[in-house]
Amino acid sequence: MRTRLTALAVAALLTVGLAGCSGDQTDPKQPLGQSKAGVLRVLAGSELSDMQPILDEAAKATGVQVKFTFSGTLEGAQTVVDGKADGAYDAIWFSSNRYLTLLPGGQKKLGTQTKIMSSPVVLGLPAAMLQSLGWQDGKVTWSQIADAAGQRKFSYGMTDPSASNSGFSALVGVAAALAGSGSALTADQITAITPRLKQFFAAQTLSAGSSGWLSDAFQKRASGADPGPKVDGLINYESVLLEMNAGGRQPLTVIHPSDGVVTADYPLTLLTSANSDARDSFQRLTDHLRTPDVQRKIMDTTHRRPIAPQVPLAKEFTDASPVELPFPGTEQAVDTLVSAYFDKLRRPSRTVYVLDTSGSMEGDRLQGLQAALIGLTGVDDSLVGRYRQFHAREQVTLLPFSTSPGNPVTLTVDPNNRQPALDQIKQTADGLEAGGDTAIYTSLERAYQILEQQSDSDPDRFTSIVLMTDGENNEGDDLNGFKSFVAGVPDRLKGTPVFPVLFGEGSQDDMNAIAAATGGKVFDGRSESLSDVFKDIRGYQ
Amino acid sequence: MKRLISIGLAAVLVIGVALAVIFGRGGTEGTQLTTVRGVIGSEKLAFFSDQRVKDAFAKHGLDVQVDPAGSRQMATQTDLSKYDFAFPSSSPAADRIQHDHANSHTYAPFSSPMAVATFAPIVDLLTKAGVVHKGAGDYDVLDIAKYMQLTANGTRWDQLPGNTSYPVRKNVLITTTDPRDSNSAAMYLAIATYVANGDNVVNTPDQEAAVLPKVTPLFTNQGYTQNSTDAPFEDYLSAGIGRNPMVLVYEAQYADRIVRNDGSIKPDMRLVYLSPTVYSKHTLVALKSPGDQIGQLLTSDPELASLAATFGFRTQDPKYFTQAVSQHKLPLPTDLVDTVDPPSFETLERLLDAVGKQYGS
Repeated sequence: MRTRLTALAVAALLTVGLAGCSGDQTDPKQPLGQSKAGVLRVLAGSELSDMQPILDEAAKATGVQVKFTFSGTLEGAQTVVDGKADGAYDAIWFSSNRYLTLLPGGQKKLGTQTKIMSSPVVLGLPAAMLQSLGWQDGKVTWSQIADAAGQRKFSYGMTDPSASNSGFSALVGVAAALAGSGSALTADQITAITPRLKQFFAAQTLSAGSSGWLSDAFQKRASGADPGPKVDGLINYESVLLEMNAGGRQPLTVIHPSDGVVTADYPLTLLTSANSDARDSFQRLTDHLRTPDVQRKIMDTTHRRPIAPQVPLAKEFTDASPVELPFPGTEQAVDTLVSAYFDKLRRPSRTVYVLDTSGSMEGDRLQGLQAALIGLTGVDDSLVGRYRQFHAREQVTLLPFSTSPGNPVTLTVDPNNRQPALDQIKQTADGLEAGGDTAIYTSLERAYQILEQQSDSDPDRFTSIVLMTDGENNEGDDLNGFKSFVAGVPDRLKGTPVFPVLFGEGSQDDMNAIAAATGGKVFDGRSESLSDVFKDIRGYQ
Repeated sequence: MKRLISIGLAAVLVIGVALAVIFGRGGTEGTQLTTVRGVIGSEKLAFFSDQRVKDAFAKHGLDVQVDPAGSRQMATQTDLSKYDFAFPSSSPAADRIQHDHANSHTYAPFSSPMAVATFAPIVDLLTKAGVVHKGAGDYDVLDIAKYMQLTANGTRWDQLPGNTSYPVRKNVLITTTDPRDSNSAAMYLAIATYVANGDNVVNTPDQEAAVLPKVTPLFTNQGYTQNSTDAPFEDYLSAGIGRNPMVLVYEAQYADRIVRNDGSIKPDMRLVYLSPTVYSKHTLVALKSPGDQIGQLLTSDPELASLAATFGFRTQDPKYFTQAVSQHKLPLPTDLVDTVDPPSFETLERLLDAVGKQYGS
C-alpha cells in the first residue's frame, strides 16, 4: 500500500504543481508545454501514476520521456471531444476508451490505440464472510450478490461512476448481468432492472471519487483510524485489491462473478493531432512496454494483467480468464444508466454545506462561491456538470455562517419536479451576503445537529458535510472542542465525513485536522476554481 | 514481440542496412533510401515492421514507413494527402479510395479468408449443436446459416444442451470489430448478408432492406466493439475464452502467430473457417508514384512474396503460400471451396451505414 500512496501523493503534488504554475508562465492550453522530440505529453487517469517506475526505466531504454497530466475519466473525455487536447497533448491513457469512443466526435480524435495491461472490476470480501454467505467456492453471480446486498447481508464501498472508471465499470457490469439477456444492455431495458439494481446499491455504504482513496478509506475504517463504521467489502479493480492484499492487513478474497465482469484495458492512445515526432516516440514507447520482460514487471509491480500472451499469469490471478460482460454500444444506453444511478438507484445523499460568509469573503470570493453552488443546479451542461448536479431525491442544506451559524435552508429535490428545489438553492446562493467573523467549529457542530434531526425520520442516506471557509477560526468553539464534540455524536452520525475546502487564508493544518477527525478529505480551492472543487467533492457524497 | 522491438530500432537499423546494401553492391545505385509513406490495415503492421521485409525494400532503395488505421476509416476519415499509398484490407475499401483519387492504380498482392479464432471446448459445443462440421480436409468449418439461426433466437451459451464446459450466461456471438470503422466487420457483413439473401450477393435496395433486420443484431447485440482487427485478436490471445470465446479474424493473423512460435497460440486454441467465407483481398492503392513501386514490388518480388506468405497471407502466386504451409507445418487448408464475393462497394457502404445508424451516431 505504501508505494501506491506515495505514488498518489506524488501524483497529487504534480497535478497541483502543474496547475499552480499554469497561472504564471505556462500556457494553460498547453500545461505540459510545446511538443518536443523525445517527450510524450500524456493526459492520463491518476491511477497510472503507479506506472512511473516502469516509465522511468522506459525512458532510459527508449529515450522517450512521458509527461503526465492527470485528470478524471469524464473530464478527460470532455477535453478530448472538445478538441482541447489537440496540440496540448500527444496521447491519452485512461483505463478504457469505451465511453469516449461512444461520444459524438470521440472516435475521430483517437489514433493508434495500444493496450498495455488490463484489470477487471471485481468484488472483494473477507474470506469469513464468503463462508457465511455460502460463496466460499467463489462461484457467485451478480444476481446472487444483488439479493444478498438487498438483504444487507454485507456492505461495500464503490467509487462514483461519474468520477472514476471502476465505479462506472461496476455499474455497467451489474446492470448488464442483471438484465440477463446475454447481449449488450440497451436503454429500454434499464427501467425493468431498476428494482434489482436498487437492491444491489442498498448495501453500498462508502462512495469515493477515486479508486485509490476508496481502498485507503476502507482500510482506515477497518483499522479504526477513521471513525466511520467498518465496511465489509470493496468493488474495485482487481489490481487495487491485490495490491491491498499484498500489504497484508485486511485481505479480501477476489470474486470474479460467473456472469461476468467489465475489464479496464488501459489503451495508450495516440491523438490524431499528434505530430510525427510524437508518433515515433509513441511507437518506441509502446513497443518497449509490450516486451515480455517489461510486461512481467508491470504485472509484478501493479498487479494488472499483461497484454503480451507470452507472459504467464502470476498465481494471484485466481481466475485466468474471467467472463467479460458486453459493454453497451450506444451513448444513450450509458447515459440513461448513469442518470438512473444518481436519480433512482443509489442511496440518495444528504449534505450540509457549511459556508463562510464572513467579511473577508466580500467580492470575488463570495461570487466564486455563489457560482460554484449555482453550477450544481443544472446550469452546467458539460459531461461532468451534468452528472455532478444535484440529483433527484437528494437533500441539500445550505448553512451560511460568520460570527455564528446562520439560518439553515434545507431542500429536497423532488424526482417528479426538480426545478423548484434547484431554483431555491440558486436563490439562496444569490442571497448570500458577506460580513462578520468566522465561527468554523460552532458552525460545523450545528451542521451535525441538523443532520441528527434530519436522519431521525429518514436515516438511509449517504451523509456528509462540506466546509468552505477562507479564514481562521476566531469565534465560538475551537478545534479541540470540535474533536470531542465529534467523538460524542450519536452512532449513526459517526463517520459522517467533513470535506473541507482550502481557500483564501484558511489554515491547511486545521482543515487537515478536521478531515482526519471525521474521515473526510481536504480539497484545494486555491489551485482550482471553487466550481471545479465543488464538482470534485460530489464524487464523494 | 521481438519483431515489435525492432520497429523502434528501425530508424537506426535502416541506415545500417542502407550502408550494408550500398557496400555490398559496391555502391552502385543512389546513396540514400527513399522514404515512402503508407497507411495500412493494422493486421499488416507486423509484416511491414519486420526487419526482413525492411531489408527487402531497402535492396530497392526504399524505406517504407507505415501508420495503421481501420480500413474503412482510411477510406472515409483519414487524411490521405501525406501518404504515397493506402493499403486497406479489402477490395471494396480500396475501390472507395481509388474512386476518390483519380488516376490511382491498385495492386492486390495477397489475400486472406475470414475465419474465427476460438477454443477447443467451443468447437466441441458447436459441433454438437450442428453449427460446426469438418471441412474437406482436417479443418473445422462454421456454418453461417446455422449460426444465424442460433443467434436469431438469442441463444446463450448456457442454453446449449449438454454444455458443461462453457456454461456462460452470454449470447452465442462472434466478436467483431466496429462495422463503422473496420474492414473485417465489413467482410463479415458481406458473408452474413449473402446467407440472409438466400445464398446470393445482395445487389438491390429491396434485398438490402430485407436482410438488414437479420444481420444487424449480429453487431448491435455485441454492444461496444473495437475499431481495429488487431484489438479483439489481442484480447483473444491474452485474455482467453472468458473474454471472447469466438473472434472474427483474418486467417493470416492466426497463421502469423503460429509461424512466430512464441507461445501465444496455446494448445486449446483453434482456427475455424466460415462457410461461406469471403477472401479479404488486401489491395494497395498507389496515391503517388512511389506507391506504385511498392505495389509492383509486393506483387512481383519473390522475396517479398515469400515473406508475405510466412505472415500467413495467401499470395497472388499460390506457390509461396503452399511453401510456407509445408515449411511451418501450418494446419491450414490450401484451398477453401465455399467462398463468395462481397457486394459492390456502393451496396456494402449502404449496408454498413444502415447498421451504423443503429448505434445512434
